[in-house]
Amino acid sequence: MKKFTRKELARYNGKDGAPAYVACEGEVYDVSKSVLWRKGEHQATHNAGQDLTDSIKEAPHGPDLLKKFPLVGILEES
Amino acid sequence: MSKNEREIIEKEGIDMDVLIKKLRKAGAAELLTYYYYTLLRYNLAGPDAESFKEITEDARLEDRCHFEILVQRIYELGGEFYPTLRELEEDTACGSPYLPKDRSAKSILKVLLDAERCAERVYHDLCKFTFGKDPITYDLSLAILHEEVEHEAWFEELLGIGPSGHFKRRFPGESPYTRKFRHIEKE
Ligand code: HEM
Repeated sequence: MKKFTRKELARYNGKDGAPAYVACEGEVYDVSKSVLWRKGEHQATHNAGQDLTDSIKEAPHGPDLLKKFPLVGILEES
Repeated sequence: MSKNEREIIEKEGIDMDVLIKKLRKAGAAELLTYYYYTLLRYNLAGPDAESFKEITEDARLEDRCHFEILVQRIYELGGEFYPTLRELEEDTACGSPYLPKDRSAKSILKVLLDAERCAERVYHDLCKFTFGKDPITYDLSLAILHEEVEHEAWFEELLGIGPSGHFKRRFPGESPYTRKFRHIEKE
């Protein structure tokens, strides 16, 4: 499984044709196919290319919604 | 636009661009729900179809009212709604409740239920975002949330998940909680 540094992850921000990857609890998911992550933006609040582990605690849903998207790697501890 | 109202809310610490984006997305989801519920309602068939249609109709009409009060608030705050329907569908807060491949009443009711559950997430977020800072948007988000929760419970009841805990409407699309925001309309 591919390992991502935070710097690498930041490139997958869904902008300018880049895929949209999101890290949560150490796992990295590809949410590019989601209509709710168009251009790497989610609910006018969150951006792809980041570790959103803390943000999901404030969200009106759990991390389970990520599980239907492809797991593309693991986030390296920094 | 209500310039002073906007300034007060911004002074309270709300990022107005984000708030308007959230309201637009919510409005988009409501209009799409209204549209797709029309198709879902037509496709509800079978021995219990009439009561399913009736409840879907209440939810459909109330979602249209939600759309209208959200658009009103967007303009009040100095924002604008989508210039085209294409942009609206691309930016919605919830996936569109399309007609499922399996057109059984159960599958259609499940689509309706998921749409209501998504809407609840949207209004929980809006309530949290505006709480203590923008009382009007909070008030209308809360009123909409009340109705979405009732819709969820109706569809759960129809799917046999459990009793809804309340009755239907006195007339189609009554909108008991959001009615006060539509004072311009005739009773
Ligand atoms: C302010 C915070 C957030 C809000 C208001 C929010 C809201 C929503 C809503 C309304 C949905 C649709 C759910 C449904 O259909 O029932 C959704 C889906 C989703 N959210 Fe969030 N969310 C937030 C934060 C997050 C965060 C931090 C992540 C990632 C770590 C995330 C990942 C997802 C995913 C993957 C989906 C499923 C998308 C799809 O099915 O296409 N959300 N979110």
